[in-house]
Amino acid sequence: MASKNLEAPRNADAHAAVNKTYEWGFSSDIEQDFAPKGLTEDTVRFISAKKNEPEWMLAWRLKAYRHWLTMEMPDWAKLNVEPIDYQDAYYYAEPKAKPKLGSLDEVDPEILRVYEKLGIPIEEQKVLAGVEGARKIAVDAVFDSVSVATTFRKELEEAGVIFRSISEAVREFPELVKKWLGKIVPMHDNFFATLNCAVFSDGTFVYIPEGVRCPMELSTYFRINAENTGQFERTLIIAEKGSYVSYLEGCTAPMRDENQLHAAVVELVALDDAEIKYSTVQNWYPGDENGKGGIYNFVTKRALCQGRNSKVSWTQVETGSAITWKYPSCVLAGENSIGEFYSVAVTNNHQQADTGTKMIHLGKGSRSTIVSKGISAGVSNNTYRGLVRVGATAENVRNFTQCDSLLLGDKCGAHTVPYIEVKNPSAQIEHEATTSKISDDQMFYAMQRGLDQEAAVSLIVNGFAKEVLQQLPMEFAVEAQKLLGISLEGSVG
Amino acid sequence: MLKIDNLTNEIDGKAILKGLSLSINAGEIHAIMGPNGAGKSTLAYTLGGRPGYDVTGGTAEMDGANLLEMAPHERAAAGLFLGFQYPVEIPGVSNLQFLRESLNSQRRARAEAPLSGGEFIKLAKEKAALLGMDMEMLKRPVNVGFSGGEKKRAEMVQMGILDPKLAILDETDSGLDIDALKIVGAGINTIMRKPDRAVLLITHYQRLLDYVKPDFVHVLADGRITRTGGAELALELEREGYRELAA
Amino acid sequence: MSALPLPTRRDESWRYGDLDALARVWPVDAAERIVVSAGETFSRIIVQDAASSEVAIRHIEITIGRDATAIVHILNTGGDYGRIAVDVTLEEGAHFELGGAILGSGTQTLEIVTTVNHAHPNATSNQIVRSVLAGRATGSYLGKVMVARDAQKTDAGQSVKAMLLDRTATANAKPELEIYADDVKCAHGATVGELDKQALFYLASRGLPPPQAKALMLQAFIAGAFAKIADDAERERVETAAIAALEKLL
Repeated sequence: MASKNLEAPRNADAHAAVNKTYEWGFSSDIEQDFAPKGLTEDTVRFISAKKNEPEWMLAWRLKAYRHWLTMEMPDWAKLNVEPIDYQDAYYYAEPKAKPKLGSLDEVDPEILRVYEKLGIPIEEQKVLAGVEGARKIAVDAVFDSVSVATTFRKELEEAGVIFRSISEAVREFPELVKKWLGKIVPMHDNFFATLNCAVFSDGTFVYIPEGVRCPMELSTYFRINAENTGQFERTLIIAEKGSYVSYLEGCTAPMRDENQLHAAVVELVALDDAEIKYSTVQNWYPGDENGKGGIYNFVTKRALCQGRNSKVSWTQVETGSAITWKYPSCVLAGENSIGEFYSVAVTNNHQQADTGTKMIHLGKGSRSTIVSKGISAGVSNNTYRGLVRVGATAENVRNFTQCDSLLLGDKCGAHTVPYIEVKNPSAQIEHEATTSKISDDQMFYAMQRGLDQEAAVSLIVNGFAKEVLQQLPMEFAVEAQKLLGISLEGSVG
Repeated sequence: MLKIDNLTNEIDGKAILKGLSLSINAGEIHAIMGPNGAGKSTLAYTLGGRPGYDVTGGTAEMDGANLLEMAPHERAAAGLFLGFQYPVEIPGVSNLQFLRESLNSQRRARAEAPLSGGEFIKLAKEKAALLGMDMEMLKRPVNVGFSGGEKKRAEMVQMGILDPKLAILDETDSGLDIDALKIVGAGINTIMRKPDRAVLLITHYQRLLDYVKPDFVHVLADGRITRTGGAELALELEREGYRELAA
Repeated sequence: MSALPLPTRRDESWRYGDLDALARVWPVDAAERIVVSAGETFSRIIVQDAASSEVAIRHIEITIGRDATAIVHILNTGGDYGRIAVDVTLEEGAHFELGGAILGSGTQTLEIVTTVNHAHPNATSNQIVRSVLAGRATGSYLGKVMVARDAQKTDAGQSVKAMLLDRTATANAKPELEIYADDVKCAHGATVGELDKQALFYLASRGLPPPQAKALMLQAFIAGAFAKIADDAERERVETAAIAALEKLL
């Protein structure tokens, strides 16, 4: 008689589990206006017109579009991308019942229900009525191509903080937008960034004036709902001297069989003594267990630490998307500026992630920390790709990089591609990488104490990712921990 | 409480337990002693359900339920605690988080209400104090950076918190200095010496038995219990060595 | 003769190369192929000390048989452009050991480029590379470790350290891992830094003049690269050459 030491392998269950586990996969029936399918100059003009943009904005978009036509999709990442037909997608979709600015009452109730289902508090009253002591979070909710609500606007404005959809900002604060748009990620930076310049539909604009500590967390919640629609959001955050802001970003999408494109650009600039903390929980639909469907996530995120003692901290928990191509970076131009990148990337089934960061040290005494935790399961591939560069005049630069990979099962891949380029002798650069699996000893020990297999895996994985998770604001950290467990359900058996 | 009958098993095709029988009643403390390679740790792992320790024959029941049909966490929920000879490190997971999740998983499996954060901390403090362990230690990741003695002491804190019916303690005395041995011994008595609890001590030496007095002592040699006696047998073994008695 | 086109910056393994210098000698010789039979031990020491105007490009491909060992030591210090590429494929239970030093000054571009392919289980590899760069020199280590799907129990280590003596010098490192098996131990560490000022002061306080103290510390820094040369006479020969090269940097 054989003893039943572990639960028998449960591949059949695992298949069922994965579909069950993308809880955010519902789609909603909301009347929408689309731009005509495909991408031409007319599409660009259509989007610009829809947004009542000034002429300079349209000219900027068209310049980007024309340049984009001359570019080729990059192929250096360790990703296997099916050819994308850029003419077979919609570049603009907006809910028909368009809300007036700032008036939540006029948001299509169906959209409010979507956000409610997602657990996103876009109704201020609800937040206010929440648990005593709960922190307030102002939310910008972007539904397909449009921002449908920004909350707590009044309270923020009293502090001098501007929190708007980028479309509004283009109209209301053209000088600020002009000053920084495309300055951190240049228009010609890369294929996807250039595409975004041409067709970006909405996104968030944040301006924190000098000396202001933003009184609450700011957050944008991105949702792709419409079919065959790409989402091209654009975020610009400006932190003036001595200011501070913590910004959270979350994303989900319905389960759909075809791949949907998401090509965002995020630009951050921090002036003297300013600090921006940017946290992302990316949970776009990853596709089914056979690799069908899922979001193609090609994102350019970059921060310019322009001021002395400025600091930008990126924290990301990447569990979703069929393909992730994303390198939130810091250009550390200011003296004694600080860049941080904390990342957990989970891939399961057929997911592919190629993600990491670039720390470009130009300022004297600039410091950076990179902590990357990659978790691969199923038949997925997970790559850390990072660059640490120290310029010749950047004295006394410090960087510490830790890249750890955890493999669950022997059908997945975990890859590490670090580039270190140093031109200054006073730099101190340290890079460490390890690869491990969950040991049989750890599993048995945890199970002997009473945890079932999935709880044990989830606990050990969360321990592996702890250094990163503890960087997240508390509400997000709890979500992220759950998400890690859910993303890996069915991966061990 | 525990009834093992004619248990045999194989590891990597090699027979280790060769028809081991043992009964432990509630309220009893048993000690198993024996030379290296006799199968002492194998017995502990097999009862715990460690993968790779496949049973080839015989039965093991706990309170009448077939232990061998259960997954490791189900055995834990049934009240079986294994004190590891080499406790495992789990980086990034604090002892408190680990134990709270474990305890509440067990409680849910037994249809008991999970403990709240406050209740759990109170319990942990009490048990940590019992074993002379600083709460700060319990905030650190499971066994990471612990010395050999600290690991063993932490195992006993875990036992105190999880409150099992039956504890199988594998070489819990190894790595302990004399002061720690006294504390651990007292801890075992306080936690486990009760009419509805039982302990199986697996040990090389009799020194732990000075502090935890066994009701029965068994000699395990070549995969079988070869002799059973009272506490005095341990002293005899210490004097004479295993060679004489194992035969 | 190879009819391959001249590599470009887009070719990953040439991204830090001196392509103008390369053009002067292109096409280069095909790779030298070495097969180490099962159970055998192969050892090779390469001292690249070409004259200052030369371009030295070497490429070695080694297949290490079952339970066999290959030990390669490299001192890369000569020429305008000195590149030594080593491609290794390991059979089951094989071991590969690399100890390399890059010592560059002037406008030299020196690189060690390795790909270590753990194609089968239970193989081990260990790479140690130390670079010291002065003047406007560029020293690069590009090392890719690949672990195939079934190559369980692979143990692969990379230790890369570089030291810059002048702010016009450049050190590049790319210790890359591509892993498709879960029960493996793959670790790499890379550091770039300058000599420990505290230690320099300590040596000075014992009476060593700064240049000598510096030289002593740099010798110790690169010594690890050659520690595993088994033959004492050979090791001394390489170390002597390395010390001579170091002195030119100071």
